[in-house]
Amino acid sequence: MSESATGTIHDIGYQRYTGARLGRSYSVRSLYAYSLRTVFGLGRGPKSKIFPFSLAGILLVIAVVVAAVKARFNVAIPPLDYANFPGTLSFLLMLFVATAAPELASRDLRNKVLPLYFSRPIGRDDYVLAKLAALVTGVFLILAVPELVMFLGGAFSAGSASGIWGQFTDLVPGLVVSAIFALVLSAVALLVSSLSSRRAIAAGAVVALFLVTEPINGVLAAIGTGATRELAGLTSITGILEGLRTWLFAGSELDIGSYGPAYAAAAVVLVGLCTALLIVRYRKVAS
Amino acid sequence: MSARTTVAPASGPRLFNPTIAGITLRGLLGRRRSLLLIPLPLVLIALSLLVRTGNVPTKDALQVVVTGLGVAVILPLTALIIGTSVLGSEIDDGTIVHILAKPVARREIVLTKYLIAAVVSGLVAGVSLLIAGTIVASVSVGVGFAVAGLIGAFVYSALFVLASLVIRRAVLVGLAYILLWEGLLGNVLDGTKVLSVQKYVSEFAATFSGSSLVHGPMSLILAIVMSAVLTVGALLIAVDRLRSFSMAGETS
Repeated sequence: MSESATGTIHDIGYQRYTGARLGRSYSVRSLYAYSLRTVFGLGRGPKSKIFPFSLAGILLVIAVVVAAVKARFNVAIPPLDYANFPGTLSFLLMLFVATAAPELASRDLRNKVLPLYFSRPIGRDDYVLAKLAALVTGVFLILAVPELVMFLGGAFSAGSASGIWGQFTDLVPGLVVSAIFALVLSAVALLVSSLSSRRAIAAGAVVALFLVTEPINGVLAAIGTGATRELAGLTSITGILEGLRTWLFAGSELDIGSYGPAYAAAAVVLVGLCTALLIVRYRKVAS
Repeated sequence: MSARTTVAPASGPRLFNPTIAGITLRGLLGRRRSLLLIPLPLVLIALSLLVRTGNVPTKDALQVVVTGLGVAVILPLTALIIGTSVLGSEIDDGTIVHILAKPVARREIVLTKYLIAAVVSGLVAGVSLLIAGTIVASVSVGVGFAVAGLIGAFVYSALFVLASLVIRRAVLVGLAYILLWEGLLGNVLDGTKVLSVQKYVSEFAATFSGSSLVHGPMSLILAIVMSAVLTVGALLIAVDRLRSFSMAGETS
């Protein structure tokens, strides 16, 4: 019966889309928001939430304990005050980026969904920057929230306006240091993760990179004298971060001499280089 | 891999299967990701040469480089990457089904894969510890650390092979154990040494090197007993887990 084609094209109501086209900035924002949720495992099963939330929880508990000790016994814990908090607990941060970065980068490579992204009004560079921004935000959040808790604890027990102001001037360096840690750790971790499509391998590689460079710094600081000693921190990622923190806000036993700006330059170069390499990597990646 | 051995009908309990060993070894070393294992020992050896040229007391150099980097970082990371991938990558790929469907005892599969993981990571870590210890101190110290590293690889591998069977995100759990338990808590709470493979290895290194430059953190007997208990226990549970293994979904 189907032979009796008359050539009629029936109008079954096809229509052009005439609504608003939300465009590139909207899709970048969506990707950012989606990636930020991915960092914490939101929108996925409970197993994906275990790691990010337990790490964030540990940081928060430590902050609560510090705030309580400070309020109750009026004892400050120098390694865990605002500006030193990220550095002292950097192991937790490494683990957090090693969990989150492969989730953002490796999973898309593994499932070969990049062609779907790049067929949208989203550019390759946009993709990289949105993912990086999401990771940076995630790491900053797990640091900033505990710092705010410590601030609230300090402010409520301060009792006077000048005490609260004092807490506030201590909080600001803490937030600045947190932002720097978030930027550097995220850029490095995302770059490493973008090289492997297997999350497990990527996570191992991220932690290996952080851990293996650390003793180089220690050895150089031990055997070197003068400038070698003061520049030793430049050989490891955590060393650069610690050096930069020391230069900005003082108060650590780390000896960086007058080379503070070198540490700042190293951090800027590191973030810039990693971002540039990420962009290059995603221009080449098959899709 | 040359001669392809056919699996003979099992006569009595077999513990090692050369075919599975060959496949595992090829899967481990025949891929690009095995290159990941090269930089770690190189950094250790380069650092050893560096402290040798500087005027660092040998005791401190051993503490920072050989124990701090070799025993505390390179040994567990190598064992983790290898130990979780001998079975873990086959579970991820789904190819484990092909082995499970063969008339091969589960015990044989687990033990063969464990042996490959332990020997390969033991060789990588042991050789780099041998070279580092020899450069920094003396041959006897190097041998002491190498033997300790080899034993450590057998303990770590048992734990990580078990982890890859029980937990879906075994690498992350392993990293958390290395970073938080052995790294962060190990330096703060002395009591954690009873359950820290890193401390057993340090103790073995102190014993085997016979040098006063290396001091052990705990009693030797305790280290031996705990290593044996953890290794045997982990392997028994691993065999049991693989016996009742069911393929889970790919998500999460």
